[in-house]
Amino acid sequence: MSTTTRHIMKLPDLGEGTVSAEVIAWKVAPGDLVREDAPLVEMSTEKAVVEVPAPVSGRVISLGGKPGDTIAVGAELAVFAIETIIEGAPKVDDAREVEAALKESAAAAAVAAAAVVESRSVPRTGGRIMASPATRRRAFEAGIDLATVQGSGPQGRILARDLGAARAANAAPAVTEIPVIGIRRLIAQRMSEAKRVAPHFAYVEEVDVTELEALRVRCNAERAADAPALTYLPFIVRALGVVLHDFPQCNAHYDEARNVILRHAAVHVGIATQTPDGLKVPVVRDVAGGDGQVLGIDELASEIRRVSEAARAGRAKREELSGSTITVTSLGKLGGIVSTPILNLPEVAIIGVNKVIERVVVHDGKITIRRMMNLSSSFDHRFVDGYDAAALIQALKEKLERPEELLSKQLRVN
Amino acid sequence: MIARSMNMVQALNSAMDIMLARDPAVVLLGEDIGYFGGVFRVTDGLQKKFGAHRVLDTPIAEGGIVGAAIGMAVNGLRPVAEIQFADYIYPAYDQMVSELARLRYRSAAAFTAPLTIRTPCGGGIRGGQTHSQSPEGVFAHVSGLKVVMPSNPYDAKGLLIASIEDDDPVVFFEPKRLYNGPFDGEPDKPAQSWSGHPQGEVPEGYFTVPIGKAAVVRAGGALSIITYGTMVHVCLAAVAALGIDAEVVDLRSMVPLDTETLTASVSKTGRCLIVHEATGFAGFGAELVAQIQQRCFWHLEAPIARVAGWDTPYPHAFEWEYFPGKQRVVRAIERLMAEAA
Repeated sequence: MSTTTRHIMKLPDLGEGTVSAEVIAWKVAPGDLVREDAPLVEMSTEKAVVEVPAPVSGRVISLGGKPGDTIAVGAELAVFAIETIIEGAPKVDDAREVEAALKESAAAAAVAAAAVVESRSVPRTGGRIMASPATRRRAFEAGIDLATVQGSGPQGRILARDLGAARAANAAPAVTEIPVIGIRRLIAQRMSEAKRVAPHFAYVEEVDVTELEALRVRCNAERAADAPALTYLPFIVRALGVVLHDFPQCNAHYDEARNVILRHAAVHVGIATQTPDGLKVPVVRDVAGGDGQVLGIDELASEIRRVSEAARAGRAKREELSGSTITVTSLGKLGGIVSTPILNLPEVAIIGVNKVIERVVVHDGKITIRRMMNLSSSFDHRFVDGYDAAALIQALKEKLERPEELLSKQLRVN
Repeated sequence: MIARSMNMVQALNSAMDIMLARDPAVVLLGEDIGYFGGVFRVTDGLQKKFGAHRVLDTPIAEGGIVGAAIGMAVNGLRPVAEIQFADYIYPAYDQMVSELARLRYRSAAAFTAPLTIRTPCGGGIRGGQTHSQSPEGVFAHVSGLKVVMPSNPYDAKGLLIASIEDDDPVVFFEPKRLYNGPFDGEPDKPAQSWSGHPQGEVPEGYFTVPIGKAAVVRAGGALSIITYGTMVHVCLAAVAALGIDAEVVDLRSMVPLDTETLTASVSKTGRCLIVHEATGFAGFGAELVAQIQQRCFWHLEAPIARVAGWDTPYPHAFEWEYFPGKQRVVRAIERLMAEAA
């Protein structure tokens, strides 16, 4: 004989010490039959969106929250009815409860189905869609499937006016509402928090990257066949790792709760990365050599690529998305001439990279064409004085304009 | 060029007068057209002016008239034959179908037959079954014949000159109810005159109206009425009675057919009514329906409608029940516009 049991699924620990998670999108609805391990719901933790699979095979009875709701780990996430064939008596109470819940969801489904049938039922002659050729043409040109249109003419004939509603439904709405949930809510919170608490000041300097370009071209020509082409970014990160040693006040966190500044010996560089979910900041760790070992330019380049691709694909680990001590934000060709980046709290400095462009400049007393790039940086003026910020950027500029040294694996190249 | 008010009889007479003078190859032949000047007076005075060798009276033998005219045409003349009533044209049908229409094809264009056959057609004159027929469809069906039918004096003169100048045979139908004035299908109203009608103002000299070109006689957006001959005026009266924004197209030529004008009109309005006086079944309107649905199908808001003579011989009695008059056209327009789209 068979019996129906009720299975309550609680939100599991999604890893890395999560205490709660936000519902992004349900993949099932009450009344659906799901198989074990089929996608159940997309949940967002602080750092990542995770797909949670169904723990059992059964019928969904209820769901624990709407998209945007936050659910604590251990709280009820979903309830399933499971039919099992067993020997012996069923659990009477459970079965009754499940039966009642199933009836309720079945009734709701029936109402929904009836509504669908009603909205599509068009009395037609001979089973064909009735519409004049001109109306068929209008529907075709408007991309309307006449099978979805209710006709108001004789014998259910679809008239030009009947296309109006379908056309309106097809047309993009004037205003689209998008709930601010998940990653987007997190981004919004952190950006407004940073702008609210930290008095930003911006500092812009131009860098002559003519030699850096020559070096980059040479490195690319010499690189292994399977190595991807180098961009400016690994050189900038490398230079930052070198110079920050002399500017510990810029490689710091502010711990507001304890009101202390945490100066970090290691340099972990956050790489601001555009992902389908929005802005994420994957981290390249120990660019200044945590254990006396410095990453070479190629290694740095692959590490930058690895963490940013992981972030884009939504498979970055929690520790790959946290712990940066300073952030670099670069939009490449979209970099513009100046930007005013917002700090990635609790950091106190962020380095913005603008686009590289050939400009007429005076170089060695002569008017000449040089390859120029601006650095637009923001600092937390509570903890970084203008003098130190300017000195840091000047040091960085110097390193980038004499780039040969950046190829060295030694930490300090002087 | 000086224009003066002419009725259709005078306009046709003027066309032949001009062509007889311009081209010595032009000759007229037919029953009672010379000494008498024609039963409708269309050739009045022409024999006296140009002589009996240019304007010939013939025996009552339509096959002979057309057969002789074909011989003249093949041998360098440009004859204009009159068949006194279209109802009498059938004895000549064999000559027209088997000889006239095929000469160019049969001789690989070694011979052409620049022959115009004029014939009064249509009803509305209490002429009964032997003086009222509209047989244009049976000629439009024959490959090799051009078929035209003017609806007013201006077109009549211009089209007749173009027909005479054409190197191929043209069957030229003259709606006899329009000879003396436009006719809106209301027999009890006093007869109207062409005097004062814009299309009754006809240039005195030479001009042509091109064969194969329809005329939009009333522009409109609600529906297209495709018609020709007497029915042009009936349709205009029906449109005026309804106060509807109809487009009325006067074909003027059935063969060759101005499909371009028809397509433009019906594609614009999406609704089409075809009106002719001839019987409906297998009539010329059926060809129009086929041509229009082929070209305008995706613009059609409603099935193409037809108003035509009932499928009986033209009656002696009950002519106004038979004749597709204003009321029938009005009802057809109302039905067509009531088709929800």
